[in-house]
Amino acid sequence: MKMFSKKERREAGQGYLFLLPALLVLGVFVIAPILYAVFLSFHKVELIGGASYEFRGLDNFMKVTFDDRAIIALKNTAIYVAIVVPTQTFLALVLASSLNAGLKGQKFFRIVYFLPTLTSSAVLTLIFMWMYNQNGLINYVLKFLNLPTYNWIGDPDVALIAIMIMNIWATAPFFMVIYLAALQDIPDSHYEAAELDGAGPIQKFWHITVPNLRPVTSFVVIMGLIGTFQLFDQSYIFSGGSGGPNNSTLTVVLLIYQYAFKTLGTMGYATAIAFMLAIIILVATLLQRKFSKEESLY
Amino acid sequence: MKKRSAGRKALYVILIVYAIITVIPFLWALSSSFKTLGEIVSGSINFIPKDFTLDNYKQIFTREPLFGRWLFNSLFIATIGTLLNLLFNSMAGYALARLSFPGKKSIFLMILAVLMIPFQVTLIPNFLILKELGWLNSYQGMIIPGAVNATFIFMMRQFFINFPKEVEEAAAIDGLGRFGTFFRIVLPLAKPALAAQTIFVFMAFWNDFMRPLIILSDQDMFTLPLGLNSFKGQFISFWNYIMAASMVFTLPILVLYAFFNRYFVKGIKFTGDK
Amino acid sequence: MKRKKWLSAFGLSSLLLTTILSGCGNEENSSSGKTEIVLSGWGGNPTEQKLLNEVLADFEKEHPHIDVKLNTISDQYMDVLKTRLIGGTAADVFYLDAFEAPALIETGAVEPLNKYVTEDFDLDDFEKPMLDAFKNDEELYGLPKDYSTLALFYNKKMFKEAGIKEPPKTWEEMEKIAIKLTDHEKQVYGLGMLPQIERMYYMAESRGGEVITDGRATFADDKVVDAIQPVVDMHVKDKTAASPSEVGAGQSAGEMFGRGKAAMVMEGNWNIPFLEDTFPDLDYGTAELPTVNGKKGTMSFTVGYAMNAESEHKKESWELIQYLTGKEGMEKWTSKGFALPTRKSVAAELGYDSDELRGSLVSGAEYATVWQDGPTLPIVMNNFNNQFLSAYLGDRPLKEALKDAEKQANREIKVTE
Repeated sequence: MKMFSKKERREAGQGYLFLLPALLVLGVFVIAPILYAVFLSFHKVELIGGASYEFRGLDNFMKVTFDDRAIIALKNTAIYVAIVVPTQTFLALVLASSLNAGLKGQKFFRIVYFLPTLTSSAVLTLIFMWMYNQNGLINYVLKFLNLPTYNWIGDPDVALIAIMIMNIWATAPFFMVIYLAALQDIPDSHYEAAELDGAGPIQKFWHITVPNLRPVTSFVVIMGLIGTFQLFDQSYIFSGGSGGPNNSTLTVVLLIYQYAFKTLGTMGYATAIAFMLAIIILVATLLQRKFSKEESLY
Repeated sequence: MKKRSAGRKALYVILIVYAIITVIPFLWALSSSFKTLGEIVSGSINFIPKDFTLDNYKQIFTREPLFGRWLFNSLFIATIGTLLNLLFNSMAGYALARLSFPGKKSIFLMILAVLMIPFQVTLIPNFLILKELGWLNSYQGMIIPGAVNATFIFMMRQFFINFPKEVEEAAAIDGLGRFGTFFRIVLPLAKPALAAQTIFVFMAFWNDFMRPLIILSDQDMFTLPLGLNSFKGQFISFWNYIMAASMVFTLPILVLYAFFNRYFVKGIKFTGDK
Repeated sequence: MKRKKWLSAFGLSSLLLTTILSGCGNEENSSSGKTEIVLSGWGGNPTEQKLLNEVLADFEKEHPHIDVKLNTISDQYMDVLKTRLIGGTAADVFYLDAFEAPALIETGAVEPLNKYVTEDFDLDDFEKPMLDAFKNDEELYGLPKDYSTLALFYNKKMFKEAGIKEPPKTWEEMEKIAIKLTDHEKQVYGLGMLPQIERMYYMAESRGGEVITDGRATFADDKVVDAIQPVVDMHVKDKTAASPSEVGAGQSAGEMFGRGKAAMVMEGNWNIPFLEDTFPDLDYGTAELPTVNGKKGTMSFTVGYAMNAESEHKKESWELIQYLTGKEGMEKWTSKGFALPTRKSVAAELGYDSDELRGSLVSGAEYATVWQDGPTLPIVMNNFNNQFLSAYLGDRPLKEALKDAEKQANREIKVTE
């Protein structure tokens, strides 16, 4: 072990001190439950009626291979992630930059754009389900524009798309807020220097705004990946918990939930799927990091 | 000043179109909360209620004697929880971004990794721990487990990474210690990020449903979402009441936002070269 | 406790637990010398809730040593109940849907009741199918508090306009009049129906097929497929039936009926107070469900009171269950017509068998199929409904959809083993 200087040691002590409350709370209420879940994933478990555990080795992890619904759930989730993450990230960035462009009335727009972020997802889902009704507002508008209408909630072909639209609508403003906060941190002098060099708004956006937002974009994309991979609320409410119609809204976390709560005795299997999902998310995160060329993440 | 007015116009078009898309669901819910049930179920598309009524709101406040209590519980839990989060997440994020110490990288990776485990599988172990602590049905059981949020530790870290180093160096020269620098210099400069965090953490506490549903069993301890949900259960198809209740539920957040809005406006912002 | 051991194994105790570990068992209301027992259920409408409180107050008056605390779980009832059972903090007495009962009974979390039941209690007074729904090998695990069957609700005005004098007696008759009642221009359908197995289980088994055999899904059997084909045909071929979501009524056939988007729906007792509140001007009648294959049939949904096997006040809990499902308690609980009494004597007392609207629901009780078929039913239901919908929408043949669903259901059942 290499020796630390006094200054280094002091800084290390400060570092741990700053982290202490966070680590304490996370340790007890997040990490300990996860360790318990790790333990469960190697067992067949029935927790109700005097817990009983039966060691099953990797059984729970192997089960996935013949569980069709797990494959379907993963496919649905992957499609969902691939479409929603880029769309909402780009939308959030565009909205935030537009709001930050110093236009008249941007205060008003800012309040309006915040609305979805300020409402609980349960309320939002209720509102949307209502608008998605066969003769609800959305079909009414589509008919008015002479476009085809859909049974948004009932039709397997469009149910997932309906959830995607709703989620982009609801999540983009969340990330917009974070971008907006980050935009305040870019010193004006950068822009002024670029203007002297004759850069237009588009060039300024790509050459100053985007690079300066890199750490925050990294946050937005990673949180987007985690959030979309863990999609649950909306598909639960839309399908009444079944993942239907025709498994079209079945997501991995909905499946985990079904095995953890709806079916008895499958808690171990549920946790096994959860860890496999976590690994997929981890891989996706590492890939995005590689592509985004961000140097300072670690 | 700016020459490209065409670009501006395009920007305005984007902003206005998106504003309309955003606002419609709310107007729809708002207008429904003033409609009679008969009008809602008739399935007509009109934003202005035919028989404007305040009855839905009256019903909520008069039918539920505990409404005030639930409101208090929600505000109390969300406020204390948010304050703790602001402090702890920022401290942790700062340490991960600016201090160097052994194990930093693994701690950061661990904090990222816990986010990747869906909460559905930790719900039951969490419940068991709270039970062992004797914290079920209590304020601390609602507040402490949520007093730290890995998402916002991560967010604060990403913010602090971009922070101009010179500020801290100047503070050190002025004789401020690490804690002094953090509380007196760094935190005040991080206002936009803190404002964003405040709103999101507060929202998370405010909207949290599954945890209180399991942890809280006394009506007296219920938070607003639980209370409103029992309301929803009673009026399962009374869309007029449900929409009115949703509006009541959203209002405090709007007030909070109105208050913090100014921190997002350019002008209060700091620049590194002071 | 094994669980505690594991938690400490993970070094939790070293962090915080040991200092604060408090043995907070069931709260004993020692100050007044009363025993407190907790009753958990899901919430009903306000009038129903008030009624329950009145019944509980009556019970407390008769049993001054017991204090009943009502704890309503407003959403995701079973999830919360299961979690609390795991943690040992569940109520002493709780509602249990017959459909969920077998799986929960298997875990040992529900107290067997045979040893408590006395002659006086008169078990024979209960409608047998409802009582049997809570039995496992002759052992009783719950007492049905109320039930509802399905009946045919028909819109009198629409029937008159179409020149139909009587509600249909057979399925074929219903198919015919549904054609007359359907008006695609106005988005009005002859029959409104939720495309879910819980609504047509009796039909599925009407030709001798079995939906579940020995805990495995067997609903892709031709006998089952043929039996429910008419439901699909009415939607896809005749276009005389639709689900509520197609006319913007969400998951509520009652709303579809109330809004005049369906001339007939097959609904239960719950629909009567709903229509009264929401569509007070609607002129409608009820009739027994049309016969399928010449046989009478309907579904019956029942909820019972069950006792927590870990309750520390079993004697008092039983006193509560006994009162609530006894003649006096049940009569009061069902007196307002929100639910039908499972005791024959109470039904006769309240006159529901001759009630204009509820009569046909009560008649169904003796031949109804109870919505309960062993511990694997929840999985079977989930997979069936999920895929049946695609056949109902006409995207694929029924046989094919059910074959897929059956395969998936059985794989899922295998996963649980």
